[in-house]
Amino acid sequence: MSTKTIGQEFIKGLWDENPVFRQLLGLCPTLAVTNAVINGFAMGMATTFVLIFSSLVVSSIKKLIPSQVRIASYIVIIASFVTVADRFLAAFFPPISKSLGPYVPLIVVNCIILGRQEAFSSKNTVGRSVTDALGMSAGFVLAMLVLSAIREILGAGTFFGYQVMGPWFKPWIIMILPPGAFITLGILLAIALQIERRTKSRK
Amino acid sequence: MKLSVRMVVVLTSIGLLSGSFLATVGHLTKERIALNKQREIEAAIIQVVPGTVSSQRLYEERDLSVYGGKDNEGNIIGFAIHASGIGFQDKISLMLGTNSSLERTNRLAILDQKETPGLGAKITDYEFFLTYWENRDCSVPLTLHKPAASSPEELSPTEVNTITGATISSEAVLSIVNGSLEQVRKLIQEGKLSSEAQDVN
Repeated sequence: MSTKTIGQEFIKGLWDENPVFRQLLGLCPTLAVTNAVINGFAMGMATTFVLIFSSLVVSSIKKLIPSQVRIASYIVIIASFVTVADRFLAAFFPPISKSLGPYVPLIVVNCIILGRQEAFSSKNTVGRSVTDALGMSAGFVLAMLVLSAIREILGAGTFFGYQVMGPWFKPWIIMILPPGAFITLGILLAIALQIERRTKSRK
Repeated sequence: MKLSVRMVVVLTSIGLLSGSFLATVGHLTKERIALNKQREIEAAIIQVVPGTVSSQRLYEERDLSVYGGKDNEGNIIGFAIHASGIGFQDKISLMLGTNSSLERTNRLAILDQKETPGLGAKITDYEFFLTYWENRDCSVPLTLHKPAASSPEELSPTEVNTITGATISSEAVLSIVNGSLEQVRKLIQEGKLSSEAQDVN
């Protein structure tokens, strides 16, 4: 059982245990769909939905699941919510569903989600698990937004589809291609590590 | 309960519950998803057969559908051929508009593709690629102009342009277009392309 307060349970996902910058989890969607802010945001929201509901269900039925079949059970639960998210996007937001392509079904294997079930929801109360899921999701959405904003502004000169750079700006196509994702993530991780070191040495 | 029995019971019930849950969700969203697809196709028909007021599905099989674009009086003014085939990485699905005698192309639209961004994905770019597909003489198989031409004037009437660095994607589009045109011609010869088929709208 965790000894943190509910507030701390939420806050830790934003920075101390940020899934992308601190735990380096869920990097596949992080790298793949952050070529535009709208895609990064939609992916963040879909993951949030899946994470919160999976944590809710797993923490409520944790005592019923024998530990030998827990991973299989978690995957079935996660996959169900992922399919719901996928169908929902296809029905109500077809352009987003199209641009995210196979990455929505791939949320099933996003390590953030399975990781939180295994590390947290299977050992904590429903309330704490949902709070933890909310915090982790917020941290994930935050990371997706930062990454996709940098890539979209430099790679296309736009932010959320709106032109933000003047006509003098020549888009760096590489930023919306896979190398741009790796370069941006690498720089952001270096910054995150540096900030962490500074705060630690001050303590 | 014995552990092995409990494992089976738990996994089976989770599977059953999630299965029925998903069946409900699938049922609720099915109609809307189908409607979205249909709207997309209608929009593409209007785009590739300019002047279309209403459209009608004339033929359908796997990877090939033919629609007729009609004017105000209900005359077919052109065909919209919806075809798909394998591109560089995944399926490319496109809509080709031709005139009613199937001898000239009107416009080409790419509906779905997962080609490399910045290279093969340029097949969706109008100025770079699609403009070269307008008004081609398609009574004979079209050919690619290599190396890439910089303006439509450089091409002969039966040629279309290549994308530099994405020859495979360009060739894939070409083979889908040529293949589907040939298929549609065959269908007309065999009398299988009837205008009596069901309405799209």
